[in-house]
Amino acid sequence: MSPKVRLRQRMQVVLHMVMAFVVAILMAQLWLFTVTLEAMESHTASLSIVSATVAVSVLGCAAVWALIRFFHRAEAQHQSQNI
Amino acid sequence: MSKRTERWKQDFPVPIGEDSYATRREFTKFLGLTSVAFLAGTVAAAARKIWKQATAAGSNAVPVAALEEIPAGGSKLFRYPTQDDACILLRLAPDKFVAFNQNCTHLNCPVHFDAANSQLACPCHHGFFSAEDGKVVAGPPRRSLAALEVTVRDGQVWVEKSNEKETA
Repeated sequence: MSPKVRLRQRMQVVLHMVMAFVVAILMAQLWLFTVTLEAMESHTASLSIVSATVAVSVLGCAAVWALIRFFHRAEAQHQSQNI
Repeated sequence: MSKRTERWKQDFPVPIGEDSYATRREFTKFLGLTSVAFLAGTVAAAARKIWKQATAAGSNAVPVAALEEIPAGGSKLFRYPTQDDACILLRLAPDKFVAFNQNCTHLNCPVHFDAANSQLACPCHHGFFSAEDGKVVAGPPRRSLAALEVTVRDGQVWVEKSNEKETA
């Protein structure tokens, strides 16, 4: 296997891992959204739960965008090495 | 003829096969925007929760019924703390009043007083709550009804937001 092919395969693995992370974070954000909705309806849920879900969702969103940026960079690097 | 074809291609430069083609960049951008949408929904729900708590904190005791207005085993509907919050006042005994938010904790259908069984019943999905304390007796609801503090003074029944936490 040539170094070029090996590099291409490695990049494919990285890109798939990034996509898996992004999808996992999106699922977690969806769950946090449902928790917040539940807390909104509940009279007993404290504000600390709501603020925690918002904070974690902000972190998740930042992580998604960071991973997407990493994905784009890796893709560009992969394409430039293929040329 | 070739000139006409070129003009046509200038007006419609994307071939039909590539019309619905999404690049990886477009797809990742869609994922990022989905993440932002989830965040926006979470923030909106949190803001609504905070707003509800803030408006409830500012509400004081209000008279909702005269003492002789409700017989023992009777009930009366009222709205508290805002016109959007339906509540129900129950007279379980001559000297015992309780009040709850009327919305079922399952899917917000209004509950009705079943004096014979001393329960509050939700007709939508057959949820049942104890009329004594609002706890779930049967059915799909998982949370108790929100209880209000009830006091009797000057021949009037007064309600205000309960300070004690309800049990799940």
